[in-house]
Amino acid sequence: MILNMEALLKRIAHCVEFGKINEASPYPPDMKGQPGADELTRQAIDKGADPDDVLKKGLVVGMEKIGIKFRENKVFVPQVLMSAKAMSIAMEHLKPFFQSGDVQRKGVFVIGTVAGDLHDIGKNLVSMMVEGSGYEVVDLGTDVSSQKFIDAVKGHPGCFVGLSALLTTTMVNMEKIVNDIKTALPDTKILIGGAPVSEEFKEKISADFYSPDPQGAVDYLNSVVA
Amino acid sequence: MMELQEYSYRFDELEVSTAIIEKFMGYEPGHAPEPIPQLIEEVFAVAHDYCDIKGGYVMQDDIRIDRSERTLRINNTYFEIKKIISNQLRKMDNIALFACTAGPRIGAYSKELMHEGDLVKGYIADVVGSEIVESAMDKIQDDLEQKMEARGLHITDRYSPGYCGWSVGEQHKLFSFFPNDFCGITLTDSSLMEPIKSVSGVIGIGPNVRRKGYVCNMCDMVNCIYREKRHTKRADRC
Repeated sequence: MILNMEALLKRIAHCVEFGKINEASPYPPDMKGQPGADELTRQAIDKGADPDDVLKKGLVVGMEKIGIKFRENKVFVPQVLMSAKAMSIAMEHLKPFFQSGDVQRKGVFVIGTVAGDLHDIGKNLVSMMVEGSGYEVVDLGTDVSSQKFIDAVKGHPGCFVGLSALLTTTMVNMEKIVNDIKTALPDTKILIGGAPVSEEFKEKISADFYSPDPQGAVDYLNSVVA
Repeated sequence: MMELQEYSYRFDELEVSTAIIEKFMGYEPGHAPEPIPQLIEEVFAVAHDYCDIKGGYVMQDDIRIDRSERTLRINNTYFEIKKIISNQLRKMDNIALFACTAGPRIGAYSKELMHEGDLVKGYIADVVGSEIVESAMDKIQDDLEQKMEARGLHITDRYSPGYCGWSVGEQHKLFSFFPNDFCGITLTDSSLMEPIKSVSGVIGIGPNVRRKGYVCNMCDMVNCIYREKRHTKRADRC
């Protein structure tokens, strides 16, 4: 089947939204045997598509749709991970264009789970959603100290920072980390998230943004870089 | 009184089913889309090899709840358990301090899968590891309940540091009541348990306490990814 470019980009978005990685992948069942995000992205590039369009009108659209469904509890973590997998496979075809500068990332997002906390699923979800929305993500992992965040911000001037915590008691460490980062690098925009965190807590610790879901983080970043 | 009880289980002795894992992840049991049910089965198929399930409890009777201070005293050790837990434990006469682990390998298996790029299966292995330790702890709690009922006593739900406002920093004090290397669990400097798939906490005991079987509605973490995903033994399990 030959698709025009607009249809091809829509199809790429559809594959990302539904986690259709490649032709060999039998999932989702109603797309079995069809090309996935991998083949369609390659096809789009080979047909001369603007790589920036492939990113922003294909991959980002698919990730945004799954992010909204996740926020609305229409899908759950496994389906977001399947979408993220499809997105990351497709992104491999765009890597040379990122390196050459033909495709510009929207910005850099440094993320980590705060010191004392080893939980990483929420952090990984945000990381994948943000990457799939066109940002470069620097994932510092779990149990991350203030100094490690500060070093990463110094290495990526102008970046955003995301702090994650699952426990009521490790979220307290967010306050110290926000304070340390803001003291060293006052202009840094800091987003916080995690089960025990709230808008009130964000206000208390002087972070810049709180979101209860990954898509909220993406929306905030997009609003700042717009 | 200081009673120590230890347990070990095989994976196939636990009530861990595809339906329970689906529910934990947010799905209506039986309605998770493919490939999720298949991946759950694949993790189940190897879970036995990745588990070293151990648990137990220590009972103490020199205790006091101070509701105005929201503290719990066990012997000469004070815990700041905060309002929610002190309310739930206020009628207890004895306490069981518990710990349980699925062992280190199921967590490592999950990390390995994720590192290899198999994100969904890695996540499912993580959820299975969580459910293994919770299910094992359900069995231990059931056994404790049976033993206490035989003495005319009842038990409460279980409460853990890190939740309901109880600082995870008090893990070290909690573990001071256990024998050295209890269940193979150690604490990091930041008071987290290793293996990561471990639980610890307390259960109240007495003639006037009650096990409700469902504690999420007491907790103020409204965005918790585990909220309303699992019920303990007394509530309706899927």
